[in-house]
Amino acid sequence: MIPLSYFIILSLILFVLGIIAFFVKKDLITQFLSVEIMLNAANLAFITFSKSASALDGQIIVFFVITVAAAEVAIGLAIILLIYRQKKSIKTEDIKSMKG
Amino acid sequence: MNTYTALYPILTIVTGALLIILLEVFLKKEKKDYLGFIAVLFLLASGAECIKFWNKGFSYFEGTLLLDKFALFFFLIMILTVIFITLISLKYLSLQHTDHGEYYGLLLFALSGMMIMVSSRDFLVIFLGLEVLSMASYALAGLKRDDERSSEAAIKYFLLGSFASAFLVFGIALLYGAVFSTDISTIMNFFHVETNFSLMALTGMAFIIIGFGFKIAVVPFHMWTPDVYQGSPTPVTAFFSVGPKAAGFAVLMRIFFPFWKEAVNSEIFFHILWILSVLTMVVGNLVALRQKNVKRILAYSSIAHAGYILVAILAGDNSGLLFYLTVYLFMNIGAFSAVIALSRKGKEFLELEDYSGIGFRYPWIGATFTVFLFSLAGFPPTGGFLAKFYIFSSAVHKGLVPLVIIGVLASLISVFYYLRIVIYMYMREPTRNVVIFSYNPALFLVLFLCLYGVLMLGIFPGNILLYIKQAVAPLAF
Repeated sequence: MIPLSYFIILSLILFVLGIIAFFVKKDLITQFLSVEIMLNAANLAFITFSKSASALDGQIIVFFVITVAAAEVAIGLAIILLIYRQKKSIKTEDIKSMKG
Repeated sequence: MNTYTALYPILTIVTGALLIILLEVFLKKEKKDYLGFIAVLFLLASGAECIKFWNKGFSYFEGTLLLDKFALFFFLIMILTVIFITLISLKYLSLQHTDHGEYYGLLLFALSGMMIMVSSRDFLVIFLGLEVLSMASYALAGLKRDDERSSEAAIKYFLLGSFASAFLVFGIALLYGAVFSTDISTIMNFFHVETNFSLMALTGMAFIIIGFGFKIAVVPFHMWTPDVYQGSPTPVTAFFSVGPKAAGFAVLMRIFFPFWKEAVNSEIFFHILWILSVLTMVVGNLVALRQKNVKRILAYSSIAHAGYILVAILAGDNSGLLFYLTVYLFMNIGAFSAVIALSRKGKEFLELEDYSGIGFRYPWIGATFTVFLFSLAGFPPTGGFLAKFYIFSSAVHKGLVPLVIIGVLASLISVFYYLRIVIYMYMREPTRNVVIFSYNPALFLVLFLCLYGVLMLGIFPGNILLYIKQAVAPLAF
């Protein structure tokens, strides 16, 4: 059996990768994807801890987080589409009409 | 009290929101104002429920719904906020071509999210409430669909907001890993018993602070604030600057008040919050100095005010914090209402230059705006002075003298940019032709009520302090 600590390490790696991608990538969809990866890293952590305590509530929380992520997709894609209609681009460098 | 009747205040709001979204489809474009009145009706009904609950009920659904006086006080503050926002939006929406009926529904949904946040002791429920609030807020920020700035505000708010909530979820996951519970009181017990913090619990708490730091716009997590505040429709900006901030601080109070007392070595977080508070006060006020747009000035001023409120969290002064938030509601919504008053069809006047000579051209608006700015700067006899005074004096009692010195210096800096608007209004010749649409009774009612609130809280704070003392009592357990 794979030790549980491996899963925690994996989820930490995923989370950090998500943060890095959020700052490095210059494209709204990819940035949004990296946020989703961070959420899923948290999900993996919840499941692992839940397994290690042999309690169920961690796994229930995961369902809530998945639902929240789905709601975020709905509103996020709508906003990104709105941006695309106005600017014909979803690059972050094109979104800079406010400064200061 | 029955378990299910305890849901009434929140349920009333959600029912109102759903009803408004349903009616939106059937109403003609000219009659969208009715939806605003329906919203106000439901808000008043929910407020009445809260008042009925004041001396009853405590904890429902195993602590996931707390209707203690603390939560009810925040309910009332938030309901009042949304009533004000609804009233100032009525004319604004049709003047600025934003009259989508779902606006009021989204406001009520955002309110229900905030109510869920402040009335729970369970991190999962708090997170869900925060998300309900955030989803509605993202949509509200982008409501001016044909305005590029509004869409930009929406995407910036959305990306950074969801980034922050990912931190919050991961923080909750780490705390769950350390304590195997998401209940705040269980977590505090853990910190009480454990003499050396596990690294996991520490990181979890830090991530949760980051998550809420974004919501309440604390430096260095404030990058989104000025752009979002500038781009969003002005009533929505007024809402963002008061509502989500109050909810975020309510949660921080629920976490940190027991934390200072119980945690064995809470110094690390004390230092972290100390640094955040100083940064917020100093950076917020300094950057505000070189802004030319009134909405951006008010955005940075609201960042700075978050810094002052953090001082109250550090000092453990709950009643001071609640008083500050109450005053802040009146003065900030008042200031934004004055900004909204200076608009006409399809045009808002937001540059500092536009304000030159306003004090003589529109004496009433100029005078009330001046009072709100004085209150934000903290001059007596306004509420803003007393609020700052209470917070800083209790911080001195706790021995946080350096922090108070920095805070007072920062608020001295703030006087400069608040007064600059006043100077433009009264001491400059009008350079631009500012003609406003002035038939807006609901807006002037809000201006008057905010003026009354700011002055009453400044001169006779006794009554409200009595209720605040009752409201913070449940936190002491």
